[in-house]
Amino acid sequence: MAILEVRDLQKHFDRTPVLENISFSLEKGQSVAIIGSSGSGKTTLLRCLNFLEKPDSGTIWVDGQCIFDADDPATQREADVRQKRLHFGMVFQSFNLFPQYTALRNVTLAKELLAKAQPDFKQNKRAILDEIQAEGRELLARIGLADRADHYPHQLSGGQQQRVAIARALALHPDILCFDEPTSALDPELTGEVLRVIRSLAQQKTTMIIVTHEMAFARDVADQVIFMDGGVIVEQGPARDVIEHPREERTRQFLTRYSEN
Amino acid sequence: MKKLLALLLATVMVFSLTACGGDSADTTEPADTTETTEPSGTDETTEPSGTDETTEPADTTEPADGETSDETSGDAASDLAYVQDKGTLVVGITDFEPMDYRAEGSDEWIGFDADMAKHFGEYLGVDVEFMEITWDYKVMELDSKNIDVVWNGMTINDEVLAAMSVSNPYCLNAQVLVVPADSAADFENLTSLEGLNVAVESGSAGEEAATALGATTIPVQAQSNTLLEVSAGTADAAVIDLLMAGAMIGEGTSYADLTYTLNLNDAQGLPSEEYGVGFRQGSDLVDEFNTFWTEKVADGTVMAVATEYGLQEAVILE
Amino acid sequence: MESPLIEFFQSDEFRTVLSALNTGFVTTLQLFFITLIGAIPLGLVISFGSMNRWAPLGRPLRYLARRKGSGLAGFWKVLAGFRPISAVTRLVVWVFRGTPLVLQILAIFYVPGMKDWFNWPSRMAAVCAAFIVNYACYFSEIFRGGIQGVPVGQQEAGQVLGMTKWQIFRRVTLLQMVKRIVPPMSNEIITLVKDTSLARTIALQEIIWMGESFLKGNQGYSGLLWPLFFTGVYFLVFSGIVTVLLGRLEKKLEFFR
Repeated sequence: MAILEVRDLQKHFDRTPVLENISFSLEKGQSVAIIGSSGSGKTTLLRCLNFLEKPDSGTIWVDGQCIFDADDPATQREADVRQKRLHFGMVFQSFNLFPQYTALRNVTLAKELLAKAQPDFKQNKRAILDEIQAEGRELLARIGLADRADHYPHQLSGGQQQRVAIARALALHPDILCFDEPTSALDPELTGEVLRVIRSLAQQKTTMIIVTHEMAFARDVADQVIFMDGGVIVEQGPARDVIEHPREERTRQFLTRYSEN
Repeated sequence: MKKLLALLLATVMVFSLTACGGDSADTTEPADTTETTEPSGTDETTEPSGTDETTEPADTTEPADGETSDETSGDAASDLAYVQDKGTLVVGITDFEPMDYRAEGSDEWIGFDADMAKHFGEYLGVDVEFMEITWDYKVMELDSKNIDVVWNGMTINDEVLAAMSVSNPYCLNAQVLVVPADSAADFENLTSLEGLNVAVESGSAGEEAATALGATTIPVQAQSNTLLEVSAGTADAAVIDLLMAGAMIGEGTSYADLTYTLNLNDAQGLPSEEYGVGFRQGSDLVDEFNTFWTEKVADGTVMAVATEYGLQEAVILE
Repeated sequence: MESPLIEFFQSDEFRTVLSALNTGFVTTLQLFFITLIGAIPLGLVISFGSMNRWAPLGRPLRYLARRKGSGLAGFWKVLAGFRPISAVTRLVVWVFRGTPLVLQILAIFYVPGMKDWFNWPSRMAAVCAAFIVNYACYFSEIFRGGIQGVPVGQQEAGQVLGMTKWQIFRRVTLLQMVKRIVPPMSNEIITLVKDTSLARTIALQEIIWMGESFLKGNQGYSGLLWPLFFTGVYFLVFSGIVTVLLGRLEKKLEFFR
């Protein structure tokens, strides 16, 4: 069964449609790359999945459970939304690390806050916090920044910051990890280190949705590719097929324009 | 400046008035008319039977207000009752030797006015509390009931009479011209202040006199500040109270180089000014005060206190 | 050359004046701290009020428009976007920032008594009320700028990590906002130090009143000019201390950008 299923998602800003009839599904352990020119609705789609935007109609299912139904207010209650967000992890284009916390604390903060809400937190406070700390350090080690744990964001390069942001998203063990153009804000020489981390996550069978402009990366890393244009999904299929042998004229034009640049 | 301020405050009050439906606007006016239309024969006695008689016709001339008629009839009488009820007469003053001031190293207010106020408190059977106020806002202090009486060598003029009920005059004063001692001769026997820059306290009787004599006035916040202007050379002269001039300039003060020359009242051919005690408009404390004063003049208390503060020439004993 | 100065410092005049100025300065300090303690939280409340997005007419109007099959335009669109809480708080802020503090002090102290609503227990209470409301309005605009200056991405990052609104404010936004508002707040607080002298318009005996009192006459001294100017020393020292403390706070917050 698909871990994520999106059915007929629609979204308007004022009276301008930004998403129309968006339907797709994603298997556990697979990754999908969403490509398309700016303004095609890719980012809005990711934001809808993370409850940062509210779709006007459609449903979202995770693990066979309906977590959002535009027609059913019961699925949109503020208190539940917080829980449901935890199905998804989000890595932003502009990192959005918390500047006043060290790299390690950026990774552990949300987990600590969640732990504090648990009833048995008071008794095992020390042990729980130590465990969260250890886990945070381990995550930083996985992305190759063990020695930067106590650095503040402004002391890190853009690539390092984005890697910390990935670790922060991983810390809550989301079912699906979302990347919103993770390398677009980086200098070209820094994109490699971030892509390497994402690549290794793919190898470890992390379920991911990656909005990206890096075509070669999408082709090599993603299992599926979705091409969006003007708020609709124009074409979707296995990554290599869509990028190397697009069926649709619009996809072809986009890819041609892209390889020219 | 002061007019503008008053205008703005008035606007604020109009707003607040409309906000509360104008329910309290009518309280002062009827009180006013009863006060002025009452025969003055009842002034001298404050026996309850007397006031009862006079308030009854006032009652009948006032329409409506059935259930509150008792209170409105008491409105003219209420100020005395109000003060006696709370047990304290709050006397609004400024530090003004020899009327209201504190002796060196002491917290107690003394002076001709302060001492007489204490006598008045005794007469009413209430405590006296002295409250320093900003002179410009004396009327608002009274109307907002933060003080009950202004008793601080207040010159009686039209402005004062329009805003408060004032006692019979109890003391005389004049406005004098203060000038640098070394140029005093230049100012003698002047009949006009035209062409002179004269510092005055804003809103004071001195300002009125200086303006009347054609001076270009420099209004400042307090009489004392006018001396600063002269001393600093930013004004040619200042106009202040004779009583104050006696206390503040010459030997032993910061203004040893100043002196006063001209009596502006004489220069204008006007009589001397008179000091009065100010109460809330329509207050029956005025009658109470006048009776009290007559009594204290008769038993010699007034003269004794005046002599203590060197005012035996100025005090009015009629 | 020193001895006359020392003699002066030991004179009764100097001691009397100094003790009066000290009494006045204590009043000044009380006013200063009470204003700060009251105006900072109130300012925060007002800033939330002015940022409040509650638009009660939006939903029904949009619903009606949808039933008629058209969108909202012109007047109706403005009406749908009308936010009463925000509008009222902004109006209040405009009034208090747009009129002189002196007028507010006079109105707040005298009008209730003249209208027979109530009497203030003390002049200090009335002055504090005026200062707190006035400064809260100024602070609220600074806070608003501070809160809105924190990038939206920070809030969203907190949201996707499952934080509550309060956790996001407390753990993410607050410190970044504080860092942003410290410099403008410093200006405002230094102004407050000096503005306390306006309290003397309703005869609150703060330090300037005390300084002036020796001009008019106080405790046997009159026409003394130096006490008034000597109050400047108190203000200089105090605003100096405040500047240093706020400067330290600013330094402390330099650990992040």
